[in-house]
Amino acid sequence: MSIPAIRIDGLVKRYGSFTAVDGISFEVADGAFFGLLGPNGAGKTTTINAMVGLSSVTAGSIALFGHDVVRDWRAARVTVGLAPQEYNFDRYLNIRDVLIYQAGYYGLRGPAVRRRADDLLERFGLTTKAKQTYTRLSGGMKRRLTLARALIHEPRLLILDEPTAGVDVELRIELWSFLRELNAAGTTIVLTTHYLEEAQELCNRIGIIETGKLIALESTSSLIGDRSLQDVFLELTRR
Amino acid sequence: MNWVGLETLIKRELVRTFAIINQVIWPPVITTLLYIFVFGLALGSRIKQVQGVPYATFLIPGLIMLQVIDGTYGESSSSVFQGRFMQSIQELLIAPLSAVELVIGYVVSGILRAVFIAALITAIGIVLVHTVPLNWALYFGVITLVAILFSALGIIFGLMAEKFDHIATLTTFGITPLVFVGGVFTSIAFLPPLVQKISLFNPMFHMIDAFRYSYTGRGDVPLTLSLGVVAGLAVLALGIALALTARGYKLRT
Repeated sequence: MSIPAIRIDGLVKRYGSFTAVDGISFEVADGAFFGLLGPNGAGKTTTINAMVGLSSVTAGSIALFGHDVVRDWRAARVTVGLAPQEYNFDRYLNIRDVLIYQAGYYGLRGPAVRRRADDLLERFGLTTKAKQTYTRLSGGMKRRLTLARALIHEPRLLILDEPTAGVDVELRIELWSFLRELNAAGTTIVLTTHYLEEAQELCNRIGIIETGKLIALESTSSLIGDRSLQDVFLELTRR
Repeated sequence: MNWVGLETLIKRELVRTFAIINQVIWPPVITTLLYIFVFGLALGSRIKQVQGVPYATFLIPGLIMLQVIDGTYGESSSSVFQGRFMQSIQELLIAPLSAVELVIGYVVSGILRAVFIAALITAIGIVLVHTVPLNWALYFGVITLVAILFSALGIIFGLMAEKFDHIATLTTFGITPLVFVGGVFTSIAFLPPLVQKISLFNPMFHMIDAFRYSYTGRGDVPLTLSLGVVAGLAVLALGIALALTARGYKLRT
């Protein structure tokens, strides 16, 4: 049996007396397209932040491809790329350098990195903007740059926090197509989204979190049966 | 050790410095020129000698320290704070970079920036006042220690600040007054005995006095004392910056 891409065991995250994540455990198989859903404030982003090192863990453990994110943090972080919801690019670098410097932080440099940066810019239709800073990009372009930056070090696991928030239908469909290709090529993807049809369309397994607890964890087909994900989601989260 | 990551962070910090060159590099140069014209050449011509050297020669090392201290703290603190404020520091936090590597990255870039600013002002001193350091090892050694101290303080305040105003607090109420009374313009030998004793507790005095040794070969207190004070403070500040970064203080939730 292969090592799971993500193994979360009894994860607890408290902020003072507030418990944001309350003992959740689940695994995501290598190569899966996993949807992590839940209402606002359910604990999705906290869980993601704990996976990538932006948040400390109160109790429990997280391992990415067998690497504990606390004890073996350096190996764990190399495996993961994060596309956050907020645009947090370096305002002093042009967008090509945003990619090249990000690769540098991961210990990568040289002609191969520059080629990959150029390939990603081309793949996401950003080549003509390569010498501009992100502040001059449209919302859709910024969203694509977020994805390109997350992929620059060729992570085995890609975490997408609301990747299509604020983008038009055309770009959303284009991004869906790209994500399917990426997943088919072997990249494990974790998606959080408020567009439930997006999760239904893309994910082969879904976990739903509410008030820090995991209330559903199933394959997409067995979770929704012949209904829509929206109906199931509302039924589960309105209990 | 992630050497490429560390080198990338240093490069990024220097890119930032030169992207805002009108805020970081030119102000210390222009200010120094003005100080030299007003204090060194105009008023200074009426002062015979200080510590056995012409007043303008006495003045230059103080001016260099003034700008190194101000520039190093300002850049380091604003880079860290801005990274937190804009969340761009998350690029570093999710990467395989340790707290030690992050702190070294900010500090080394602070040292390079300090050396660059010092070199420009030194060049001004050579051209306008014909004064050259006598001891280059001491010159670079003191700049490095002072840059470590103020880069680390910049990290500490950049982490603790909730708004830009908080960063300015140390500059306004600490650095600027202490530097100006710390012997930039005068030797403490000119001060009343009680004030001389108080000055010994001013860390800026020790930085300026140690640095002035590299130009004049003499100072108001023994060089070992000044170097000891500066090195001790640098180690302390570095330790605090490292501890806060390792804890993820206001960086990780």
